[in-house]
Amino acid sequence: MPDLDETLKEVWPKIRKKHLFPELPSPRCAEGEQNVALDIKGKKISISKSFVTEMSEFLEPREVFEGLLDHAISHYLYCPWDFSTHLSLYREAKSVLEDREFSEKVTDYFMDVVANTSCVSHKETPLPEIYRHLKGERLDEVIVALYQRIWGMDLGVEGHEEISRKLSRIPYLDRRRWKESIRRFAKVIRSLPEEEEESKNPNTQSRIDNHKLQQYSLEEIARGVRELTLKYSPDEFVEIMDDFEDELLEIMAPTEQNVGLGPGRSLNADILYYMELAENYLLPIRKTPMKKSGSLYPHRHVPWEVGEPFQDIDPWTSFGKIMPGITQTWKRIEGEVFGQEEGTPDCMVLIDSSASMANPKTKLSYAVLGAACASDAYLRNDAKVAVYNFSDASTGGRKILDYSRDRKEIYRHLCHYFGGGTQFLTEDIQSLQTDKVPDIFLITDMQITNLETLIQYLNDCKNRVTAVHIGDSTHVETFRRSMALRRNVGIYAVQNKEDIPAIVLGRIREYLSNVTS
Amino acid sequence: MKNPFQDFRYVRIQNKELPLASMVQAKLEVMDHIVAGYVQLVEEEVKDLVWLVEHSRIVRAYAKATKSIQGLDYDQEDIEDFCAELDNTDKIPYIVLGPAGIFLSALINNCNEDRIKLSLHDYQRTFHFLGYRLPEGKTLTLQGDVGDLIGASLSGGRLVVEGSAGNWCGAGMLGGEITVTGSTGQKTGELMRGGKIKVSGRVWGVGNDIGGKIYEGEGLIAPLARDRQP
Repeated sequence: MPDLDETLKEVWPKIRKKHLFPELPSPRCAEGEQNVALDIKGKKISISKSFVTEMSEFLEPREVFEGLLDHAISHYLYCPWDFSTHLSLYREAKSVLEDREFSEKVTDYFMDVVANTSCVSHKETPLPEIYRHLKGERLDEVIVALYQRIWGMDLGVEGHEEISRKLSRIPYLDRRRWKESIRRFAKVIRSLPEEEEESKNPNTQSRIDNHKLQQYSLEEIARGVRELTLKYSPDEFVEIMDDFEDELLEIMAPTEQNVGLGPGRSLNADILYYMELAENYLLPIRKTPMKKSGSLYPHRHVPWEVGEPFQDIDPWTSFGKIMPGITQTWKRIEGEVFGQEEGTPDCMVLIDSSASMANPKTKLSYAVLGAACASDAYLRNDAKVAVYNFSDASTGGRKILDYSRDRKEIYRHLCHYFGGGTQFLTEDIQSLQTDKVPDIFLITDMQITNLETLIQYLNDCKNRVTAVHIGDSTHVETFRRSMALRRNVGIYAVQNKEDIPAIVLGRIREYLSNVTS
Repeated sequence: MKNPFQDFRYVRIQNKELPLASMVQAKLEVMDHIVAGYVQLVEEEVKDLVWLVEHSRIVRAYAKATKSIQGLDYDQEDIEDFCAELDNTDKIPYIVLGPAGIFLSALINNCNEDRIKLSLHDYQRTFHFLGYRLPEGKTLTLQGDVGDLIGASLSGGRLVVEGSAGNWCGAGMLGGEITVTGSTGQKTGELMRGGKIKVSGRVWGVGNDIGGKIYEGEGLIAPLARDRQP
């Protein structure tokens, strides 16, 4: 038996070229488990030596390597291609099967069928020969019977006519219909009677690979999670992430904050949803002069005398002469002015979580999303954010977070839902006011019991206020009319996600009137 | 300078025509034909998306449905796929449940297979008129709850409902057998001329002019019993 490592090194360049140079590192041989041929972790492919040795009874080691690498690269290049596709397929399978483990298994089989069929149809590959000699469970036999039918090859499996016929009608290579296809695939597989536990042979070489989430890199997972937030509602997203919570936490354990998570034991998928979704919207903030600078400024003229420095001589009043009695020099004194340096103040987020607002755990809440986008904008500019989440504040329905840069804590407070009445306390807001006059970001549907109190407070305060209202109502009209003359209050309406990028934080009408005049 | 594409010069790009492509294409053509037949039926029979349940309309709709699928080679999976298409309104612009059920019945009756099983749990819609004019020699098993007029005008076939049925179950049936493991609604067996209806659960109302037999559990309730109130 030739050295497997050397064989693999010889084979890999040919495979890379065949697949048009995919961005994958060189694979390696490892001891591995006998009944799983491939292990992929963060794009690194490990091939089981014992599997190759076993298969060498039927095929040359070169052919075994080639087939396995074709399979692995097809998964990378075609199906599932990325993390969000993998989880989307899983979700569709689970909608039919309802059992988590079975859904994972069926998803794995489906992805195998798609990747293998794509490989066989586009490349010369010894993959069918590997399946010819692979012995597995009954479901594996069904899949090979399916391959026989759809590839038009005899792979040595008999029986399973009816089920393979049903499975052969599915358009595996049509990516646009994968969701529908996996549902049909799952329905057919579901109709198989359960295999008896005793009849399972523990020595079978069951699978070429297990599609664990470890095969994706952290960046891919982060990107995939963000894409999932765009595809699914909060409860659907939470359901998917909860199913893979242990795996994801294991992957992310050595690092932090890559997927918006900090160290902790729980994924908090409901908070993660908004953390990732908010990344898609970048809100601008109007900066404001923040620091007063003290410096020495020329104040008055004094006569210059011999021996005094030359640099502050004023040539204009000195008639161009350097002579005692004629030459004048500037006397500087210290002055405090607003410098040119602008910055971003801290922000106080006032978010309404009463019953009239959407529950962020079940339905996409524009209020939480808007507040999340605003918080992120301030945090990105090195400001701090305080949160006042209110419902029926007078009866304890309120949650206050003092100024903080802890993104997860901020989101935890934003996502909290009371679902009660709507009343806020001005004392709570006042307790968050500081000398630095933070910005106020208010997001509500304006159906507040003490709306007049809020209007009065905003009329009296000097903070820059960005008020966002969800939907329209007479209360909104009242608020708009009351704030019409306030130049430090910007009002925006949000009816759907697409309205959020239109919000400009800290935008005041004085700025606009200065620009246009 | 080396041409960076030099390595690709000898890479042969090939696309093998797998049997999968022809199988999928054939299936798509069949489904397109079925969907087109249904859409045509709705456009001709349904005015302003309102379809009245009248005997003459039912008969005419069934005749048109049968004519539109004449000569089409399809099987049970195509019928299941059509049910899924009815659930998914991306492809079919409007769903009117009466004609949809009649069209399905036409598909079932003219299918080559004698034993057909439909799992209705997978669909969000409740179908009516299933088993309409089911002929002798055919067995239709419906897994899940069904709507009204199930097994109407049954013509000798065997209909099994593994769930509950709505109103007018077996109305006007001429012969054959309907077995319902759940309950049936009002007017069960209305104007039936023959055959049997066996209901394992409750029969909430028996129709008039019962020519066949209706069993509730083990007991015969019609033509001996009158309507029962829930």
